[in-house]
Amino acid sequence: MRKQGRKWQAMLAIGLVLVMGLAEVASAAEKIVIGALYPMTGRAGRYGIDSVSAAEIAMNEINAKGGVNGRMIDIIFNDSKANPAYSIKVAKRYITEDKVNFLMGVVSSAAGLAVTEVSKENKVIFVGTDHASTALTTEKFQPYYFRVSNNTYQSAAAAALYAKDKKEWKKYYVIGPDYEYGHRTWEDFWMLLGRQRKDVQLVGQAWPKLFEPDYTPYITAILNAKPDVLVTTFWGGDTVAFIKQALPYKLFDKMKFYNYDGGGNYELLEAMPKGLPKGLVLSARHHLNWPDTKQNRDFVANFKAKTGRYPSYAAEGAYAGVYFIAEGVRQAGTAEDPDKLVAAMENLKLKLPEDPEGFTSYMRPIDHQIVQVQAIGETVPNKKFPPATMMLGNWKVFKAEEIIPSVAEIEAARKAVKK
Amino acid sequence: MDGSLLVAQLISGLTSAMTLFLVASGLTLIFGVVNVFNFAHGSFYLLGAYFAYQVVAVSGVNFWAGVLLAALGAGAAGMLMEYFFLRRIYGRAGEAGFQILLTYSFILILDDVVKMVWGTDYKSISKPEILSGPFSFGEVTMPRYDLVVIVIGLAVAFGMWAAIKKTRFGRNLRAISSNREMASSLGVNVPLTLSLVFGLATALGGLSGALSAPVRTVTPGAGIEVIIGSLIVVVIGGLGNFWGALVGALVIGEVTAFGILFLPQWAILFSYAVMALVLIFRPEGLLMKRGAVG
Amino acid sequence: MSGPKTGAKYGRDEWAQWGIALVLFAVVPLLGKKYFVSMGNEILVMGLFAMGFNLLYGVTGMLSFGQAAYYGVGAYTVGLLLSKGVAPFWVALPATMVVGGTLALVLGPLCIRLSGVYFTMLTLAFAEMVWGIVFKWYDFTGGDNGIQGIPMPEVLRDPLRYYYFTLAVAFVSFWMIRRIVASPFGAVLQSIRENPERTGFIGVKVRRYQLAAMVLSGVFAALAGGLFAGYQHSIHPDMLHWTKSGEVILMSILGGASSFFGPLMGAAVIVFIEDMIGKYTEFWEIWIGGIMLAIVIFFPRGVIGTFDTWITRWRDHGKHAGTAARP
Repeated sequence: MRKQGRKWQAMLAIGLVLVMGLAEVASAAEKIVIGALYPMTGRAGRYGIDSVSAAEIAMNEINAKGGVNGRMIDIIFNDSKANPAYSIKVAKRYITEDKVNFLMGVVSSAAGLAVTEVSKENKVIFVGTDHASTALTTEKFQPYYFRVSNNTYQSAAAAALYAKDKKEWKKYYVIGPDYEYGHRTWEDFWMLLGRQRKDVQLVGQAWPKLFEPDYTPYITAILNAKPDVLVTTFWGGDTVAFIKQALPYKLFDKMKFYNYDGGGNYELLEAMPKGLPKGLVLSARHHLNWPDTKQNRDFVANFKAKTGRYPSYAAEGAYAGVYFIAEGVRQAGTAEDPDKLVAAMENLKLKLPEDPEGFTSYMRPIDHQIVQVQAIGETVPNKKFPPATMMLGNWKVFKAEEIIPSVAEIEAARKAVKK
Repeated sequence: MDGSLLVAQLISGLTSAMTLFLVASGLTLIFGVVNVFNFAHGSFYLLGAYFAYQVVAVSGVNFWAGVLLAALGAGAAGMLMEYFFLRRIYGRAGEAGFQILLTYSFILILDDVVKMVWGTDYKSISKPEILSGPFSFGEVTMPRYDLVVIVIGLAVAFGMWAAIKKTRFGRNLRAISSNREMASSLGVNVPLTLSLVFGLATALGGLSGALSAPVRTVTPGAGIEVIIGSLIVVVIGGLGNFWGALVGALVIGEVTAFGILFLPQWAILFSYAVMALVLIFRPEGLLMKRGAVG
Repeated sequence: MSGPKTGAKYGRDEWAQWGIALVLFAVVPLLGKKYFVSMGNEILVMGLFAMGFNLLYGVTGMLSFGQAAYYGVGAYTVGLLLSKGVAPFWVALPATMVVGGTLALVLGPLCIRLSGVYFTMLTLAFAEMVWGIVFKWYDFTGGDNGIQGIPMPEVLRDPLRYYYFTLAVAFVSFWMIRRIVASPFGAVLQSIRENPERTGFIGVKVRRYQLAAMVLSGVFAALAGGLFAGYQHSIHPDMLHWTKSGEVILMSILGGASSFFGPLMGAAVIVFIEDMIGKYTEFWEIWIGGIMLAIVIFFPRGVIGTFDTWITRWRDHGKHAGTAARP
């Protein structure tokens, strides 16, 4: 390289360094800073963007009432890209550069597992608001982690209780995306159902790749197996694509469709204003039309007013996350002392939009998992939330305490991993 | 395992093969004639789906007209990309690398454009009413819509074949893919033909996207899902070989359809395994003559 | 495309180049911001990966779309050995090189029978199969949960110390690559890039050299993967996905595949831009796509290559015409 090449290289490098320095975000010592990581691109983008809006709503509500003990909340958002390595990078930057007091978010469980390590290493509290892998509160538990949305065990436990009473549901077939979440959601359910019903039988299983565009070969195989119930652990667009592709085969006349963790998300109901069959048995981590409490109605209305659309369930998780942090800081009297915060947060009670009358969500100290009610319903016509023409109804509600793993189970699971 | 299951799988494999073929045929055309590896091809599939949504679901145009318009729109977008950008890197040293960079940058750009214009929620188009039910012959049922897609796919295949074989445009294409300079000195307007071919190919990709929109999810990110599958199909059939794209699509469609019956756990790897086998034993593709590709 | 000169003595310019690079990387992290350390570490790791890749692409002319397989395998070697307590880091890191090289010896012979885009596609196919195995073999690799909390030895736990460790390993590797390229072996590789047929005509066993290039590239990629595992303490099958292979290709081309430090520069630019832009907008794709597009159109020799050209033209402008040497 020529001599001048050296100089130019050096200047370029120094320029880069200066820009990096100037780009530093000024840290405000007074505010409570939350570093949020949500997917804003790709298939999970909707959840991220809804979470961002809901978190902002919560932040504005709290700040309008004077903040927390006089301190305002500030939230920084960054795309997690549903990528664990990138999420770690951003989380570390949040901690070292932006001096956040809390980490919040992620939708992908793999990213969650990655970020919880950063939280543990740096002793910064991480509040999970949507990812559902039970591992984060059992085997991979660390004290600075809290989750304010339900995990796969809770959905699966409710689903097992629902299925237990369905005597006519004997032959099961499962189809789901071929990755940890898809498998785990099913396995938890099947194990719990197996404890209560000895007459159920698995007649087939299929594990297409995540985001598989074409399910028709799977559909024909399912029809051939003639199950009573088709359990699916799809989420998002995969659920929509599967239902659309299965409709002409009249699959829904021949078997019950059961998607108990993410199937009942509003985005599905919104994506199929025409043609969504009745009687699909679904649940979600938050429903727009249940419970019919003022708090839930207000939450949904405020979200719609701010964004022009109705929220997917990730939104309520993010909303809960911000309130959880605010309440934790209020009770601990500090946003800087992680251990005091943990002590306050692990016994916190928080009234959320998804709590029915007479119940308040609460955190459990043993695993830092929020304990909530779960409701499972069926699709019925309902035009109150356009563009959807169907919503869930015919609810069966499951008590919070009946759907959580016992303390003994958790301790056993943790011991098993210690080797 | 009874006969009707096998037939059912055969047919469902056929449907996925057709969609793949439509995308792959465009890809192979671009490779064969323009000598470009259009990594961004999946993005034209995506554009086709969104244009169809915009025209059919939002503006209420008739479904088939909408599909046609969507394909034309994707074709136009492709021609723009070729004319204003791709053209600048023809003949550069290390062209292959720049093609990858350029087409990859378009994947990113188009993905965000789609997101900015239409948002991230899943869009829906409905199929035409008469096609929403099943079609039965004997014991076998298949969705009517899928049958129509298969017919359209075959029609396109024949149409393209006829065009390439019989028309002057087709002759020019073949001439350019053999020897660009020679074709030019023989009076073929090479730059115009290249742009038209590119447009035709991306229109095919857009057509596939538009046709798939009623049965799949219309979302940003759908493009990436299609590109690897169509790349595999193109390689299996033979790069630049039009019928090869059809054969390749059928192979992949059926291998997957039957593979999931026997080896459900490994479905994600079937296509790659097939491609690897073809590349190892018959690298020029299933339909090409044995030649020096090593 | 021309590569670094073969067999030339290391002139003053080149020593200066190395010196500047080393000084920059050594000093910048000390400027206070912890974040520079992390970003610098990542640049070094990806830079090593890209430089190793460029041995195959820029030097030998083989565009592999499957280098992520080696990178990921290197990361998992460290990740698995350390988290299962089988071997310490000092053993695991060199082991990555053995594993990477072995994998290349297995997959390589099948790939090099083909050339051009066929070669590229086969490397992609094999890499995806390796990814599939890591992804599905849940009991062994943890599947798509990945592996977190990889335990590092006490002496390397501090991020700054680990950064200097990476710096040392990376620069030693860069030096090795430089020596390879400048050697007679390197000359043969470049000749293969220019014209494989003619190179064969002069009696060179082209396939053997190509395989050697693949093995070397695999070794450095795996080493980079191992370093990454030590840096983030968390690994995931995404590291083996074709998008990772694509990243390293982009870095090399962006920085300039025909200049020695090009890939390292490309790595720095991409890591930096992704970070900067991601902070400010959710629409980072269009920005990064736009920048890449601009670079393709306006910087045909990659960032470094083009700077070189500009500087040469600017400098020669003053001299009399006709005698100035052009690159």
